[in-house]
Amino acid sequence: MKNYTRFVKPVYMVVLINLIGFLLLYMYSKPNNNINNNITIFAGFSVIALICLTYALILKLEMGDEYLFLIVSMLMSIGIIMLYRLDRNLAQKQIIWLAVGIIMFFACYFAYLKLNIWYKVAYLYPIVSYILFIITIVFGGGKRGANNWIAIGHINVQLSEIIKVLYIFFLASYYTDPDKFRDCTIAVKRLKIKINISKQWIFIALNYIFIGFLFLQRELGTAFLFFGVFIFFLFIFGSKISTLVFNAIIACIGLVFSYFYFYHIRVRFDTWINPWSDISNKGYQITQSLFAIGSGGFFGTGLGLGRPDFVPEVHTDFIFSAICEEMGIFGGIAVIFLFFIFAYRGFKISLMVKETFDRIVALGITLMFALQTFIILGGVIKLIPLTGITLPFISYGGSSLVSGFISLGILQAISKKA
Amino acid sequence: MINDMDGYKNIDNAINRDTDRGRDAGKVTNNSEDTNNEVKDKQEKEAMSNRTVNRMIYALVAVCILFFSLVAYLTYFELFKKNKIINNSYNRRQFEMEEKTLRGSILDRNGTVLAESEFSDEKQVRKYPYGAVYSHVIGYSSRKYGRSLIESRYNDYLLGINESSAVFNLRDRLAGEAKEGNNIYLSIDHKLQALAHELMKNMQGAIVALNPKTGEVLAMVSKPDFDPNEQKLEENWKSMVESETAPFLSRATQGLYTPGSTFKVLTLTSALENGMENNIYNDSGSIVIDGKEISNYGGKAYGEIDLKTALAVSSNTVFASIGVELGEENLRNISERAGIGEKIPFDIPVGKSVFQYNEMSKTDLAAAGMGQGKILMTPLHMALISSAIANDGIMMKPSLVSRIETHNGKVLKKHKPEELYRVMDHDTAAKINEMMQEVVNNGTGKNASIKGIKVAGKTGTAENELSSRQKGKEHAWFIGFAPADDPEIAVAVILEYSGSTGGSAAAPIARELISAWLKG
Repeated sequence: MKNYTRFVKPVYMVVLINLIGFLLLYMYSKPNNNINNNITIFAGFSVIALICLTYALILKLEMGDEYLFLIVSMLMSIGIIMLYRLDRNLAQKQIIWLAVGIIMFFACYFAYLKLNIWYKVAYLYPIVSYILFIITIVFGGGKRGANNWIAIGHINVQLSEIIKVLYIFFLASYYTDPDKFRDCTIAVKRLKIKINISKQWIFIALNYIFIGFLFLQRELGTAFLFFGVFIFFLFIFGSKISTLVFNAIIACIGLVFSYFYFYHIRVRFDTWINPWSDISNKGYQITQSLFAIGSGGFFGTGLGLGRPDFVPEVHTDFIFSAICEEMGIFGGIAVIFLFFIFAYRGFKISLMVKETFDRIVALGITLMFALQTFIILGGVIKLIPLTGITLPFISYGGSSLVSGFISLGILQAISKKA
Repeated sequence: MINDMDGYKNIDNAINRDTDRGRDAGKVTNNSEDTNNEVKDKQEKEAMSNRTVNRMIYALVAVCILFFSLVAYLTYFELFKKNKIINNSYNRRQFEMEEKTLRGSILDRNGTVLAESEFSDEKQVRKYPYGAVYSHVIGYSSRKYGRSLIESRYNDYLLGINESSAVFNLRDRLAGEAKEGNNIYLSIDHKLQALAHELMKNMQGAIVALNPKTGEVLAMVSKPDFDPNEQKLEENWKSMVESETAPFLSRATQGLYTPGSTFKVLTLTSALENGMENNIYNDSGSIVIDGKEISNYGGKAYGEIDLKTALAVSSNTVFASIGVELGEENLRNISERAGIGEKIPFDIPVGKSVFQYNEMSKTDLAAAGMGQGKILMTPLHMALISSAIANDGIMMKPSLVSRIETHNGKVLKKHKPEELYRVMDHDTAAKINEMMQEVVNNGTGKNASIKGIKVAGKTGTAENELSSRQKGKEHAWFIGFAPADDPEIAVAVILEYSGSTGGSAAAPIARELISAWLKG
């Protein structure tokens, strides 16, 4: 029997944040407009109930690391409170996605633990991924330059969010046992291409196909994310430094090439160097983001008292700017630290687990979250060029949230094994 | 097959295959593996693990650095970069806040509303009920053209930005109610201002009237002027910007004019201080200094006269020779004490009066002595010099804003009279006061005399860049104060390029103002 009181304190903090946030949102509503404020209270209690129920189940079923979910639920609470302040309809949808996400979290937890097939179907991951990419390209709709989602009924699904998980499994199954890829290369063999160099190079080529597809869909952020994870993996599991260097050089050449030949990449870079010269047009997004961050000061304007709605895409990519404006730089730093301790626990799980496949999957998920956070946060504060990508667990978006919970469920499962 | 790769990976893979096999087969063939093999596996696995673990820790350190750089940059941005950034006009937050705050009113000393804002259709409109009368005092506040003068300088007060009241207004802000800005009370007297505006008719020039004891500005008019109401501003903007008469120039504070004979009061001050009080001069109507002839207005000769008469008749020949007699040092000294060349602190921007000589020749000294040459003064500064004489030699700091109140009457700021310069000592001031009374009683300033009130004054007819080419383009000046034994008002009047003398054109305007103020 576990001593539950030991774990009670952090969850209280999450509940408290939700209570304060939703109470403020309740008071913030102007008395004379026709919005039903009781829904705000209901939404707040739904979020608290979902979090507490999930946490109780994690403890009850002894599902391994109990802090992972707490960190995520804190991030998620901040995200939903902020979303609620920006657009209550989106936030209500997000709460429904949260419920779906939590179901997926448990489903993936059990699926990963009970089914022992994940490291066996190595060749399936790239194949399924490429099929999903092609589906997106053929049936996909586009917005703001990216061409990255398909419509299923009334819901827009971003398949690249699912591909993220598949990509990690692909990397993990290769590094667990590169021989699995021999079978895949048979077809190539029959075309009388030398097999000697095939395995590693096929692996690398498969990686670049992933990244190439993302480039085609103009999902630059995700493309950089995949490449970042790839480079980290080459460093950790690949043994020849030369391979790493080779890929880094390839990447640099690719970047220089695309700077000159792809307008949208040049724009990203130029607006990073100097967004002020074309502030009304290309530099608009990033400068509005900086205004928001700068206007909040260290302590923020207070929830509902700033104007983050001036920032385009504030509910998705730029939600961190809204957090900085209304919850202050300290609020923003708190979010960064939450992601950091999440990454730290991910590394810890990865180091403790015995099975190589589990270890690599845990590391992959952790790196995916950490790098994604860095890419988007660095982008909106203009530390690095801005590439559109969601902030895990905080940005609005069903695909992103559900994919996040799928990854979390798998990480939870691995922590159980550790 | 795999030997093209490195040794580590081979071992790694081998182990993994074994582990996998173990995982698959384990349930069926409970620990059927060879013990030796297991030990060997274990050793190899440890070697692999150590290396991978090391690399993973490096990766963790890299992730640490990435996150730390985010925190560091965010802090750096907040501390050092944001202040330059957030005032950008593309940051709509500023305007948003302005729209939500009802801009404070501007009133005269008696509470007459001179500028106020009203909400109409969710938008604020700034209204100036007296149109052009205050265009060079209050300025304008326009969404399109920005703000000027008092509207600009006191913008924070008018919007109520500078108080740390954010916390206290929290409830209002949560409820989305408009905030109210602070009201500004000027020291201007609306009646006097309206009269001054009327007296200027369509002439170009400026009037400044102030209280010599406190430095409070009572009336200040610059002509030409403009209607600062947004709609009129929009209609006339283009033509006004292009206009040769420069209607946007606040002549009272920004216009730089040759002071002409009004400057003689300063020359005289220096003369009295240098023991020249009892000198008698022979005025023959003209004098030649270093080959340059200087003559009196109209070429009149006054014969043997003392300083008092010389000032009353405004003798150029006498003051030119006094200038030469005093020399550069004394003239510079009195100019400096009167604040010429210094920035005068005021509620709206003031041009710097200048005494623009590097080294002075005798002709320069002569010209400076009678207020010609390279001396340029703002009308406000001349009014201040006049008020300094009236106030026992002390020039008070001029002020336009007498108090600032919140919308519910709490006083935030109140004007306190401050000394700016001691221009001359008490005795000298008294003597010049007396001589200036003579100017009005029996001299060039007769037109400023008021029955039953002792008025002190000095006229000026200033040569300028136009009058040197074309007759009848002189500036007409008058400075003065009253009542002479206990001054309540000091004035400066200038009519640009009027072509008439200060005594005939400017003095009557001063008389009307003084008489209106003293008789209430």
